Amino acid sequence: MSATAATFERLATVERSPGYWSGVIRRLRRDPVAMVALAIIIGLVLMALFSPWIAPADPYRSSMLRRLRPIGTPGFPLGTDELGRDMLSRLIYGARLSLLMGVTPVFIAFFVGSFLGITAGYVGGKVNTVVMRTVDVFFAFPSVLLAIALSGALGAGIFNGLLSLSIVFIPPIARIAESVTTAVRKIDYVEAARASGASSMTIIRVHVLGNVLGPIFVYATGLISVSLILASGLSFLGLGVKPPEPEWGLMLNTLRNAIYVQPWVAALPGLMIFITSISFNLLSDGLRSAMDIKA
Amino acid sequence: MSAAAPLLSVNGLTKHFPLKGGFFGRSTGTVRAVDGISFDVAEGETLGIVGESGCGKSTTARLLVDLIRPDGGEIMLSARRLGVDLPLRDLRRNVQMVFQDSYASLNPRLTMEEAIAFGPTVNGVSTAEATRLAHELLFKVGLEPKRFAGRYPHELSGGQRQRVNIARALAFKPKIVILDEAVSALDKSVEAQVLNLLGDLKRELGLTYIFISHDLNVVRYMSDRVMVMYLGEIAEIGPVDAIYERPSHPYTRALLAAMPSMDPDHLTREAPLAGDPPNPINPPSGCRFHTRCRHAATVCISTPPGLYTLPGERHLVNCHLAIPNSGHPGIEAVTA
Repeated sequence: MSATAATFERLATVERSPGYWSGVIRRLRRDPVAMVALAIIIGLVLMALFSPWIAPADPYRSSMLRRLRPIGTPGFPLGTDELGRDMLSRLIYGARLSLLMGVTPVFIAFFVGSFLGITAGYVGGKVNTVVMRTVDVFFAFPSVLLAIALSGALGAGIFNGLLSLSIVFIPPIARIAESVTTAVRKIDYVEAARASGASSMTIIRVHVLGNVLGPIFVYATGLISVSLILASGLSFLGLGVKPPEPEWGLMLNTLRNAIYVQPWVAALPGLMIFITSISFNLLSDGLRSAMDIKA
Repeated sequence: MSAAAPLLSVNGLTKHFPLKGGFFGRSTGTVRAVDGISFDVAEGETLGIVGESGCGKSTTARLLVDLIRPDGGEIMLSARRLGVDLPLRDLRRNVQMVFQDSYASLNPRLTMEEAIAFGPTVNGVSTAEATRLAHELLFKVGLEPKRFAGRYPHELSGGQRQRVNIARALAFKPKIVILDEAVSALDKSVEAQVLNLLGDLKRELGLTYIFISHDLNVVRYMSDRVMVMYLGEIAEIGPVDAIYERPSHPYTRALLAAMPSMDPDHLTREAPLAGDPPNPINPPSGCRFHTRCRHAATVCISTPPGLYTLPGERHLVNCHLAIPNSGHPGIEAVTA
């Protein structure tokens, strides 16, 4: 145990490898599809944040005189809806509620589902059985049906819509979290950590979370597109956002009567939902392959 | 070795795994993975453990570091009994383990210094001190700290990773290191280097090893004493020369016969073993080896022999043939 000075000298000049996440970011940057998807998502988020400054008109101001104008009408670049409101402004404002309804439930479900799944996976035994069988009961329902049933029972409204969607996404995330944790738990480095006398909390923090949250996160980003579509579906059925709020799913619903008069205008909210959800899906795919490399 | 109190003493250690699979996970049977084994390890010696797959070698190792709870038996370290006057914490600090799979043994998200420093930090050493210790240990296992401390597992070769795993075990300043097939996955030249490193470390730090392997040559090279296991029981245990030169158990003889001989004057005459070991869920009655033993007699089917101490040396064997007046008629009478 001599040579302490020499050791300290070595300490100061240790060569550091780039960490895991910097490698993930590097690989993600080289993926053009993921970068385009990321750019679109950032654009949508900026659009939602700054909609009052971007939107050319008031999204609530209606006029019976200029209903259902086609795309390209002077002053209304994307036409008007069935109440004569500016479509472009409503689509821009719609990003706010639609993104909120798409991202928040997945975000909440990511925390709750990961907590349940990691606990069940790490503790195992009876705890696992109780948690996972309960989750399975919810999992047995088709997600659309469950979302409709829950928000139908809770009543319409943004908060209830978010709550029911969060409950819908907890079971799939909990299942993924449980299976990944069960796999990691059996690996030798967790066994070695247990043999070191570390507490379960320390082992989960140092050895489990870092290897488990990545895959769960990738899976959760893939769910955002589903959540967007489900949220739009709830609004479409009158169970989510209420009129006259601009929200893409609700707009799709109210414009459906106009589909024979102005089919292109009526399709615009659907196009926004499509672009947003496919961007989240492609980003999630890119993230998965960037994280997948043995590193 | 003197006859003083052994460093590690195991008495009647037993582990039966329940077989789940019935309705609502009801138990449908038990695997007798380790079935009442007793042995001592003296300070500074190396005990080799050999046996076929599924004979309970790794289960024994995991029981010794309390990764799995034994169903019965006691573990004593320096004459202190686990659970009585030996806290689990002390056992874990003094008995550390190196696993076979060098890659799976290291968290892919931790650098080498973090991996080695983890153990000391959870036992109350400051991060700076633990990091300094990690660098010292890296140096000790032959890895330049400057180059390797900040690396991740996938950037190292198998041999280098196994050196890190050894350093990680040594970070606890343990008395006993269990090497569970620790060199089996390495190629031969690297294996030799790691074995030499283990020898050097043992001399320098006064370590005691429990060396588990299926490679009989390596066990002979490393061990002072050897324990042969069969179906969760000890078949034979004794000094390495006694086991290799004068094996008493037919199973040990069969194992050694399966070893390729390098010397034309020592050609193997023993016939190799046929078939797989019997299912440990329902082990055979009497002597567990009788289903595959060429010398089995009626007494072997009815009565378990129990460990018998051969005269002269600390050589114990679990066979009726070696026990005088056991009722076995002798090799000539039963050999087909």
